[in-house]
Amino acid sequence: MRSEQAVHNKIIFSGTVGAGKSTAIAALSDIVPVATEALISDGATTLKKTTTVAMDYGVLLLDGGEKVMLYGTPGQERFSFMWEILAEGGIGLILLINNAMPDPLNHLEHYLTAFDGFIAKTAVAIGVTHMDRSNSPTLIDYRAKLRVRRRLPPPAVFRVDARERDDVAMVVRALLYTLNPGLIDA
Amino acid sequence: MSQNRSDAAAPISLLLLEVGSMDARLIGLSLERHMRNKVCLTDNMAKAQVVLVDCDRQGAELALRRIPPQQRLGVVGYALNPRECGTKFPTIDILGKPLNLDGLPAALSRAMASPASIPLLPAQPAGAGPLVAEKTKSLGDSIDTDDGAELCGSLEDLPLAPNSQVPDKFFFDPEDYLIGQLFRAVVKSQASGRPLAVAGLHRLIRVSVAPVPLCLTAFRETRLRPISMTQLPLATTRLVLDPGPDDPSAEVAFASEDLLWNVAVWAARGRLPKDTDPYRVVRLKAWPNFTRVFVPPHALRIAALWVRAFASPVDIASRLAIPQRYVFSFYTAAQFAGLLEHDLGAAKKTSPTASAPPPPPPPQQGRRPSLLGRILRKLLNAV
Ligand SMILES: Nc1nc2c(ncn2[C@@H]2O[C@H](COP(=O)(O)OP(=O)(O)OP(=O)(O)O)[C@@H](O)[C@H]2O)c(=O)[nH]1
Ligand SMILES: [Mg+2]
Repeated sequence: MRSEQAVHNKIIFSGTVGAGKSTAIAALSDIVPVATEALISDGATTLKKTTTVAMDYGVLLLDGGEKVMLYGTPGQERFSFMWEILAEGGIGLILLINNAMPDPLNHLEHYLTAFDGFIAKTAVAIGVTHMDRSNSPTLIDYRAKLRVRRRLPPPAVFRVDARERDDVAMVVRALLYTLNPGLIDA
Repeated sequence: MSQNRSDAAAPISLLLLEVGSMDARLIGLSLERHMRNKVCLTDNMAKAQVVLVDCDRQGAELALRRIPPQQRLGVVGYALNPRECGTKFPTIDILGKPLNLDGLPAALSRAMASPASIPLLPAQPAGAGPLVAEKTKSLGDSIDTDDGAELCGSLEDLPLAPNSQVPDKFFFDPEDYLIGQLFRAVVKSQASGRPLAVAGLHRLIRVSVAPVPLCLTAFRETRLRPISMTQLPLATTRLVLDPGPDDPSAEVAFASEDLLWNVAVWAARGRLPKDTDPYRVVRLKAWPNFTRVFVPPHALRIAALWVRAFASPVDIASRLAIPQRYVFSFYTAAQFAGLLEHDLGAAKKTSPTASAPPPPPPPQQGRRPSLLGRILRKLLNAV
């Protein structure tokens, strides 16, 4: 293998607290993901006991030993200073939004703004999670929100259960095709 | 076992489907002479219990599709190479040629015992190439394989610019299929605010509007798919006020958009709804919900390109270097799912247009695939 650069390839997973970033990375990763979980102390959510405080880290091992890292940003916004640093040099962004938290559409807006520069250079695909627990807002509402931002072309927005590997793989595939619709897979 | 039972029972009534005249005569004579009390031939579909189909004949597949799904028929095939043929028709029992009549009654009673084999078409086309079919979840998960013949037919490409009238075979009339009625149900219930249902099939499809547009049905994909693909005789279905669930425990809810997509993509078979101009530009307003809808071949790359700008179906196919029938199926599904934006202001444009999306980088055939391509492959292969 020639390319040393390839070793630094990474896909970024970001999104709201409890959206399923750590779970999604674990679903795809070929190694046991390294996560820096901590007990939740600030009452950010009552949904779960732990949250990621630094980052999640998983790996996709490609043929020939090449690695693609899967980086998860911490969900809580007090860690948002890390987001851009983690994303730098990444292939693209998977944004997971927890539909069972209050005001998910505002969260969407917030994350898209935070990653604006990164998305402009790469691409984003969005997974709306926890729709089994809360079916509103709908995907149609998400798309409307994205239209208001006048981001063209509109990114992929899918219903995702982060516990389902197929769902997570599908968002990542959409991200790859967004980067290059001419992509072939073999 | 079943053979003994069928020995004692009334003769099985058998319909020969797509069987050549010579075969039909030979089979008829042999049955008449040797098995009169076990099997009798009928040419009335309504009276048949089992059909026997010559799987080597070109029209076999189409003939099978045309069987009304309500008719709980058993199906037995026969072919020169049963093993090879079995991958094409995985759900049916296939006997070898020349037909061994001794084995026939047993095969017929087996098929009768499981008329569920009527969804004759493989849920996942067999012999998938490098892409791996994803596991089937509820209604309409991805098949996503390059062998799209089952789903997208085999129509040839149209010329890149219109030069004569597009032949009729490139179009279908949605009114001949379930999609016509389902679409009307969704539109009408949205307009009136009243829940409606499509009745007349062996399960209801209920359509509700509030708080979110939903379709509820106890149909499984294995039943709904063949019904969606079949031309339904006039007045098979009708719209009624929603009478409530027919089978509450089996009923599943779908976003209306998702069910419309599936039922339309199954009807399309590589064709466009009638009165569509394959040279007229449209744009994809939003990505279909690919984690929940049926994903036909090439759908992700078509979506990724078509959200970028207005382009005609013919244009999209040529830019992606894929057969047009895949784009036509996608167009049909997107149209009924409400995902297409028509360029109303623009006069008819022919491809290539100024607003057409830039061509994607050409596929790197023969070379090592790009990093993105290798990631994609990894995602598809590692299950
Ligand atoms: N019901 C349901 N649970 C989900 C879904 N997606 C993820 N989960 C669960 O949600 C919980 C939170 O998932 P995590 O992966 O820890 O979320 P996270 O985004 O890493 O959270 P932070 O690190 O705190 O930002 C886990 O128990 C997941 O199994 C979903 O679609 N539905
Ligand atoms: Mg986490």
